[in-house]
Amino acid sequence: MTSDTATRARVLVVDDAATVRLYHNSLLSEAGFEVSEAANGLEAVEASLSAEFDLYVVDVNMPKMNGYTCVETLRSETVGTAAPVVMISTEDRPGDADRAYQAGANLYLVKPVAGDRLVRVATMLTAGREEAA
Amino acid sequence: MNPLLSQFLAEANDLLASVDEGLLQLERVPGDPELVNEVFRAAHTFKGSSGLFDFPELTRLTHAAEDLLDQVRGGRLALDSGMTDDLLAAFDLIRGWLAHVTAHERLPASAGNDAAGLITRLRAPLGGEEAGPTSASAGPARVISAAPQWLAWFDAEWLTETAGWLATTASTLRFVWYTPDTDCFFRAEDPLHLIRQVPALDKLNVVQPQTWPTPEEYDEYACLLSFAVATRAAVGELEYLFRYVPDQIEIVELDADAITRHLSGEPPLHVEEPVTAAFVPMIDSELAADARAVLHAAHRALTMEGVVTEGTRLRSVRHAVTAAAGALGVPVALAEAGPAELIEAVVRLAGEAAPAPVPAAVAVEPVERREERADERRADDPGGQVGTRVLKVDQEKVDRLMELVGELNVAKNGLTFLADAAEEEFGSRVLSRRIKDQYAGLHRIAEELQAAVMDVRMLPLSVAFGRFPRLVRDLSRRLGKTIELVTEGEDTMADKDVIEALGDPLVHLVRNSLDHGIEPSDERVAAGKAPAARLTLAAVADGDAVIVEVSDDGRGVDPERVKRKAYEKGLISEEELETLSDSEAVDLVFRPGFSTADQVSDLSGRGVGMDAVRASVEKLGGAVTMKSKFGQGTYTRLRLPLSMAVTQVMVVSVSGQRFGIPVDLVVETVRVPVAEMGRVLHQDVVMMRGEVVPVIDLARVLDMPWAPGEGEDRRILVVSVNGQRIGLLVEAFHREVDVILKPMEGLLAYADEFSGTALLGDGLVLLVLNMKEVLGLAARVA
Amino acid sequence: MPLELHEETANLIGVVTVDEVEQLTGWLRTAKRPKVGLRRCNHLHTGALQALLLFRPKISSAPSDAFLATQVLPLLGVSGGPANKQGSDPP
Repeated sequence: MTSDTATRARVLVVDDAATVRLYHNSLLSEAGFEVSEAANGLEAVEASLSAEFDLYVVDVNMPKMNGYTCVETLRSETVGTAAPVVMISTEDRPGDADRAYQAGANLYLVKPVAGDRLVRVATMLTAGREEAA
Repeated sequence: MNPLLSQFLAEANDLLASVDEGLLQLERVPGDPELVNEVFRAAHTFKGSSGLFDFPELTRLTHAAEDLLDQVRGGRLALDSGMTDDLLAAFDLIRGWLAHVTAHERLPASAGNDAAGLITRLRAPLGGEEAGPTSASAGPARVISAAPQWLAWFDAEWLTETAGWLATTASTLRFVWYTPDTDCFFRAEDPLHLIRQVPALDKLNVVQPQTWPTPEEYDEYACLLSFAVATRAAVGELEYLFRYVPDQIEIVELDADAITRHLSGEPPLHVEEPVTAAFVPMIDSELAADARAVLHAAHRALTMEGVVTEGTRLRSVRHAVTAAAGALGVPVALAEAGPAELIEAVVRLAGEAAPAPVPAAVAVEPVERREERADERRADDPGGQVGTRVLKVDQEKVDRLMELVGELNVAKNGLTFLADAAEEEFGSRVLSRRIKDQYAGLHRIAEELQAAVMDVRMLPLSVAFGRFPRLVRDLSRRLGKTIELVTEGEDTMADKDVIEALGDPLVHLVRNSLDHGIEPSDERVAAGKAPAARLTLAAVADGDAVIVEVSDDGRGVDPERVKRKAYEKGLISEEELETLSDSEAVDLVFRPGFSTADQVSDLSGRGVGMDAVRASVEKLGGAVTMKSKFGQGTYTRLRLPLSMAVTQVMVVSVSGQRFGIPVDLVVETVRVPVAEMGRVLHQDVVMMRGEVVPVIDLARVLDMPWAPGEGEDRRILVVSVNGQRIGLLVEAFHREVDVILKPMEGLLAYADEFSGTALLGDGLVLLVLNMKEVLGLAARVA
Repeated sequence: MPLELHEETANLIGVVTVDEVEQLTGWLRTAKRPKVGLRRCNHLHTGALQALLLFRPKISSAPSDAFLATQVLPLLGVSGGPANKQGSDPP
C-alpha cells in the first residue's frame, strides 16, 4: 500500500442510478476521498471482499441486492467491516431509518443530500479511522 | 453541459426505454410481479436522480408514477389499461421534457401545467393528490399558524393593522423569508428580480447587514441582503416562483391569531441581531446537527433489541460515536466500551446543551485535503468503477473515431498512388514494391481498426423495433383492429446509422399495414381468417446486408385496382395496364404520386407515400421490394447494408473526370469491340451471354464533352439496378476504393444524380453516382 | 448602455444587470459626492441596489417604474414611504 492510499480515506458509493453515483463520486473525489463505485448491493459486497473501505454510502432501493441486505452482509461475518455506513434513500417513511440502523447503518439520510452535507458527514465519519480500525 | 446532467440524460434514456417496454409487456401479462418491479424500479431511479437537478416538476411527476406503481407492486391495485395509458403519457411527457433539457438544460416553461393533469390522474387511483410537496422533494417547508422569528422585521404597527384586517375577514396572509446565498450572483440569480415578481406584494422589507464592510473590503459580488415579504399570493404561486431557490426561502401562512401571538409574546428581533452572523456560525451548527444525527442513529441502534451486541456492529457504533464526539469538540475515549457504556456516552454527548465550538481543523479538513491532494489526483486514478464494466460513450466520440478511421483509409489509399508514381515517374520498381508492402501492412491494421470501430457502432435491431409495440398498440386501438405484433431477430446487429435510418421507413410500412392492409375483425372473420391480425417484423443478417421484413396477413394488394389507379393517375400507359403482371403491378405502389387509399387517412396518409420509403432506403444503398397475395397478406422486404459508414466504390472516369459507383451495383467491367455494339430502338445495346443489355453513354447523361475514339474498344461497366442490367459507357476503369461517403452539400446538394462525395487519397474529391437517378436522367436525355 | 457615468452624476437606464454592478460600484467608490438618477431605470440588480445602500449616493430623480418607486426608493433615503428597518448606518 502506498502512502497515498494510506492517507486518503476510501469510500464505496453504492447506488443503481449512474447519475447519483457520478454525483456522489465527484463530490467526494473533489473533497479528497478515494472513491469507488458499485451499482447494487451485490457488487458492493463483492468489492468489499477484495478491498477495504473507510466509509460506505449506500442507496436503499437497488436491484439484485437492496441496501438493507447489503449493509447486513457488510456487517456479517461474510465481510465483517466496522467501517461507518451512511444509507441514503429517496424514501422518508416512518420506520425506514430504523430498518437502516437495524441493518447496521450509522446514519440515514434522505435524498437529495446537499453536496456539502455529504462531504461534511463523510469527513466527520472518517476523521479518526486509524484509531477505530 | 455539465457531466452530471449528461450522465442523467443518458441514464434517463435507458430508463424510459425499459419503462415503456415493461408497461407494454404488463398489458399482455398483467400483474407479472417481475415486470411490475422492473417498471417500478425504473421510475424510482428516475425520481431519485431527477432530485439532483432543479427539475421539481420532473421529480413530482415521476414520484406520482412511482407511487402508483408501488401500489400495483404491493398488489393493492390492479393495473388497468387506463392507468397504463396515463403512465405511458407521463413518460412520454418526460421524454419531451428531456429533449428540451438536452437543448436548453432546463425544463420547458410549460412543464408545471403539463404535468398537473397527469399527476392528478396518476394519483386518482390512490385516492387523490398528495397534499403539498413531500419532505423527500426538499421543497420549502410550509408552516401554518406558527409565527417565525423573522416576522419581527415587519413593522409592529403594520402587523397590528394587518392582524386586525385578517381577523375581520377570517383570512390569512403569506410571508416569505428569503436569504439569498452570498454567492448567488454567480449563479445568475437576482433576488430583487424574483421579489418584484411576487404577485400581490403587500409589504417588502429589505434586510441590510448590521455592519457593512468598509468600501475597500466590500465585495460587490457577495449578496448581503435578505428579504422579508408579505403577500396575498397563494403558497403554490410562491413555491413556483421561488422553485429554483427552495433552500434559500421559507414560506409561512399566518392568520390573525399567529400574528397577534407574535406581537404579544416573542421578543421582537431587532437590529442588534446581526443578520450576517447567520452565514458564519451556520457551518458549525450544521456539522453539530450532523453529529447529533449520528448520535441519534447510534442511540436507536443501541436500544434496539439484539442489534448491537458485539463484533463489527459494536465496533462500528463505537467508531461513529467517537467521530461524532470529535466533531462536537468533546473527544471521548471509548476503546473498550460495551453497549451500556456507549448508550451512556451518547446520552451525555447529546445532552451537551450548547455544542462547543468546533475545532477549526475538523471544519476545514475537506478544504485542506482538496488543496493538498489536488496534484495527486490524476486521470488514471484507480478510484472508479468496481462493478459495471460497460462503458457508456458519447455517440459523438464514436462518430469522431469513425471519421478518423475514414481519414486513415484515405491516407492509406494515398500510398497506392504514391507507389504508382514511384514506378511511373521515378522509374523505381523496387521503391514501388516497398511502398506496396507498407501499404499492405497498413491496410490490414486499418481494416482491423475499422472493424473494431464498426463493431462499437453496431446496435441490435431491437433498438429500431422498440417503438413498435407501443405504436401498434396505440394505432390498433384507434382503428378498432385487433393486432398481434410479432418481432423476430431483434438481436441482429447493424450499424447505428442504418438502425437510425431504418426508423422512418419502418414506421411508414407498419402504419401502412395497420391502416390499409389489416382488416377489421369482422371482415377477417367473414373472410375465414382469425379475428386477430398478425403483423410480423423480422430481421436477419445476410452477409454484408441486413434484411428487414414487414409482413401482415391482411387483405393484401389488389393488382387490378392498383393498375387501374396507376392508369387513372397517368403513371402507366394503356398498354401497360393490359400487360403488367401482378407482381409488377404491386411494385407500382412505389411510384411517386401513387397512393392506394382513396382518401388520405389520418394515420398513414401523412403526405409521404411508399415512394418516399423506397427513396430513403435506396439512399442508404438498400432496396425495397413488396410481394402481396390478394386476400392473404402483404410482405415488404428491406435490404440494407449492415454498415453505411464505409462504402466501396468502383472508380471510373469520363472526360478525365472521375466518378464512383457503389461496388454492390457493379456486375462486371467489359471491353467490347465496336463491331459488337448493337442498336435497338435508338438505344445502344450490347449482347452479353445471350442477353441484350442497354448501354448508356455516361458522358452524354452528365453532359460532358467526350466521345469514344473511332474503332476503339468500348469500355462498359455493367451494373444491376432494380434487377435490371445496364451498361455504362465510360472512358476508363480505375481501382476500387473504400471511401467514407459524405452527403452532398452546397451547390451540388440538389444534384440528385450524385449520392455523395468522398475524398480520395490523392486529395481529389470523388463524386459518387446515384445510379437510379442517372438512369432516370438518361431516359430523359434520350 | 444602462449606465451613464459622469464625474459626480450617474444615470441608471433600463435594466441594470449584474454585468453593470462592478462598474457602478467602482464609480461609487471613487465619486466624491455621487448623485444617481433613477428616472429611466426599470430594474436594478440586487448587487446594484446593495451598492446604493452601502454608498448612499444622493438620489437625484425618482424611478417611474412602479415597483422601484414604491418598494425600493424609500430604502434609498428618499421620503415617499414608511421607513424600513435597516442595519446601523453605513460607515
